[in-house]
Amino acid sequence: MLKFAKIVDHSLWPEYREGDFVLIAKIPLGFRSIREGDVVVFKHPLYGLMIKKVRQVGPENQIYVTGTHEKSVDSRQFGAVSQDWIMGKVVWHIGRPTR
Amino acid sequence: MIYKLMKMLDKSFGIEQAKAHCDIPCGIYDPITAQIAGLTVVRMIDLMADLESKHPEGGLEMQNSLGRYVASKEEHAEKAKHDIRVIWGDYIKSQHMEKHPNLHELVHKIMALGSKSRQTADRETAVQFVEAINEFAEIFWETKGIAVKRAKAPYPPALEMVYPDL
Repeated sequence: MLKFAKIVDHSLWPEYREGDFVLIAKIPLGFRSIREGDVVVFKHPLYGLMIKKVRQVGPENQIYVTGTHEKSVDSRQFGAVSQDWIMGKVVWHIGRPTR
Repeated sequence: MIYKLMKMLDKSFGIEQAKAHCDIPCGIYDPITAQIAGLTVVRMIDLMADLESKHPEGGLEMQNSLGRYVASKEEHAEKAKHDIRVIWGDYIKSQHMEKHPNLHELVHKIMALGSKSRQTADRETAVQFVEAINEFAEIFWETKGIAVKRAKAPYPPALEMVYPDL
């Protein structure tokens, strides 16, 4: 199943910018194939729907995510992302045209 | 072209937002906003009591003032809770928790006292609310390696407040 989402905020800057769109391949389409470097969308119980980059997948499938901006709020603050939270991974990035 | 199409779809149907959550632009945290909001709650309760003593007969003007004080009390109790939650959620890290294992309990106490301050006009509860926020401020400044001092607020109600000793 596929779903579009729009990015707000800047923690994946400069690769992903606020206002960009992404197409997400929803679980269970690709959970097993999630690996380091993937960009995933997940529903955090406090922060809501978030988009981050996978930095590490632990031996028991714990998924550690980070942003690419130093001020990113991510696994460094809230720990591993639960498998249940993962909605899917980004398969298409539609960025704003650069001038 | 595709981006423009997506923008149109978003405008028409509203595409769900995924937050690339970031603390930009700040790193600016200070519990003083919560402390002042807590102090305002006590001030509003004092003004309400003063109003009642001066206008025991009630009346439209009295009710109007009372309504404004209650609304302000509500607003500032909620603001204090909000500002504490932001520091707790965005600034406090696991290493702070290790050093201050009572922090979660303290934040929960602040939330409960803030709610009770909204529900009632009990001054003692509101004073406890301010003091709990002061305790949070002491821990916050300790995490920054900044000493604190206690001094009376230079405006009514002149409760004791925790300030960074800069």
